Amino acid sequence: MITVENISKYYNRQTILYDISFSLKKGEILGLLGPNGAGKTTLMRIINQIIPADKGHVTYDGKLIQEKHLLEIGYLPEERGLYQSMTVEKHIIYLGRLRGMSPVDAKQQLDYWLDKFNIQAWRKKRIEELSKGMAQKIQFICTVLHAPSVLILDEPFSGFDPINIELIRQELLEFKKKGHSIIISTHNMNSVEEICDRAILINEGQKLLEGTIHDLREQNKEGLYKISFIGNMIAFANALWAGYEIVDKEIHSNDSFTIYLKMRKENEINDLLNAVIGQVKITGVETVLPSMEKVFVKTINAQKELISE
Amino acid sequence: MNKVFLIAKREVMERFSNRSFKWLMILGPLLILGLVYLFLSTTTSSKKNWKVLIMDQNEIFDGKLTASKPQNLSFDFINAFVEYDDFANNEKYKDYDLAVQINEKIVSNKHVIISYKEHPPENIQRHLVYFVERRLEEIMVEQFTDLSVDKFREIKQSLQFNLKDANDPRNEKSTTASWVGFGFGILIILFVFMFGMTILRSVAREKANRIVEVLLSSVKARQLLTGKVLGIGFSALIQFTAWVTIIGVGLYIFRLTLFPDMFSAGFVADEVLNSTMGDGLANQSPFVELIYSQIHYTNMLIFFTLFFIGGYLFYGSFFAMIGASMGSESDGQQFVIPITLLLFLAVLSGYYTVYYPGTTLSAWIGFIPFTSPMVMMVELSNGFEDGSAWKLFLSLAILFIAAFFMMMIAGRIYKNGILRFNHRLKLKMLLKWTKK
Repeated sequence: MITVENISKYYNRQTILYDISFSLKKGEILGLLGPNGAGKTTLMRIINQIIPADKGHVTYDGKLIQEKHLLEIGYLPEERGLYQSMTVEKHIIYLGRLRGMSPVDAKQQLDYWLDKFNIQAWRKKRIEELSKGMAQKIQFICTVLHAPSVLILDEPFSGFDPINIELIRQELLEFKKKGHSIIISTHNMNSVEEICDRAILINEGQKLLEGTIHDLREQNKEGLYKISFIGNMIAFANALWAGYEIVDKEIHSNDSFTIYLKMRKENEINDLLNAVIGQVKITGVETVLPSMEKVFVKTINAQKELISE
Repeated sequence: MNKVFLIAKREVMERFSNRSFKWLMILGPLLILGLVYLFLSTTTSSKKNWKVLIMDQNEIFDGKLTASKPQNLSFDFINAFVEYDDFANNEKYKDYDLAVQINEKIVSNKHVIISYKEHPPENIQRHLVYFVERRLEEIMVEQFTDLSVDKFREIKQSLQFNLKDANDPRNEKSTTASWVGFGFGILIILFVFMFGMTILRSVAREKANRIVEVLLSSVKARQLLTGKVLGIGFSALIQFTAWVTIIGVGLYIFRLTLFPDMFSAGFVADEVLNSTMGDGLANQSPFVELIYSQIHYTNMLIFFTLFFIGGYLFYGSFFAMIGASMGSESDGQQFVIPITLLLFLAVLSGYYTVYYPGTTLSAWIGFIPFTSPMVMMVELSNGFEDGSAWKLFLSLAILFIAAFFMMMIAGRIYKNGILRFNHRLKLKMLLKWTKK
């Protein structure tokens, strides 16, 4: 749907973005990750044609992105505001109309979303009367009112309580089900793991990683395994001997444990199982993949080290 | 274009949902009316009795003017013509306030000159005119016709009265009309400042609460700025129309209640005959005449509107630039000061033009867009000589071209500055943004 090709952006002789390329497929949720100041917001602004790129270009369905394509995009910036003195109804309709909706369509969609979020009672309220969380919901409605094919959301979960985070997450999954594509920039790594199909990681304007969530975690695994068993802990430890390194353990009861360990030498899972199978009753074994948070931190730190060298 | 319209419409609606805007619409013109009333009252002469010297060289009036002694006026006759300068400065005539020239040609040219040391109130002028006219009718009937005075009155030609300042008979020093233009100019500057600040606040608020980024994902920066400037400008015009309407109605009501006799010929005679009314009316201000009969309102309003639009767009672009480029609200305030000073300079230019019209400097400042809306209003109220109206149109054209140019620059600064936050605004930064 959207392809970003070799985008670079400079400001005051500083490189904000350097040669960033990626594409967003139809029906996909793409996580745009990076620490503060990495250039995510600048990239989102470039995709939305709010600011121009110094190099490279963005295409929509294979064509250079133009003003008409923006009507197909719903953008929720990180620092979003609303007109405080306007009523909820007038505000939503106003932004809908700016995105090319007719008054009738905007009103119909307004009803649909107010019903869906069960907030019809807010209709005539002025924005200044709403709490932060309520205002966030209105901002979300403003973003999706015109049923865009692509959603670009900068920190969509910030300011929401867990109930509303779940509500928004479900809405995004529903959008995806309908074939809409979504780019999400977030620091909430749990959400990335749960709803994103792919992610790209940028730092200091450069793309460091790109891939499916599973691939990214797989590529960054550290040879950690998790084994759960019922039996004697000392017997289990003795059976391992010097071929394995216990990293961590969880004690569930007197005879129920989960152990995190790393292999030494050339050992593999089969060797581990052969070693302990006569000593304890194994209830589960799995390879531990790093969380996206760990992938994130590890990659950023690795880049820092590289630069400092 | 549709988006620009939507943005402009929202701006208008916002202004109308604002209580202070609505109150200003009512209280602003009422305040002006109050000031006009005060002005008329305080500039009123406290003189109770006006001493008139009738210069009847050929003794046409035969030393008589009216049978009854009128209130507020007393007459003395002299069978000589006294020069203006002499009348104004000679010790001999120091007790006289007015002089009426009756020469032998009055019968044929129907022309009477009244010179004054202090501008007489409207009703005093009218009484004097009434007495001179009636006396002349009597003389004409007596000497040239067999008709009755009433019959003659029906067919006679009216006299033309010309009022002249004895100190300035060629009317060189009169600034009265200029002050009217100055008043209109002040109104332009006031509106430009008020609504320029509205642009600044509106832009700064959208920037501060970050709605602007949401908007910019749907509309171009230039469309957003254009819609905003047009919307606020339209609100200003509505505000102005309300002011004109309320002030117009107010002046009309003043005329009906305070100066009911101004243009009613029949009333004059009644008034003169019924001298009990004289006392109250003697205190009318000479400015009443100016306000009700000398201002060419249609012309002034047309050019006021044009110069206001030009001035608003020109200065408004500066306010928009500051609003868009400021890093914080307090940061931008310091950049408002130079614009305020420029507006103050415009007011001073108008003041200068009132006192020194026709100088090289006043000609130049009439073409400079920073000062032209003010200066041209003063010039316009003085009137342009035949063949020099091009100055007005040239000034207007320069103002609009400059406004267009400044709006282009404001558009660039707006585009570059609107998404920059928490920086310290520097002039260098502004200049850089104009180039991209």
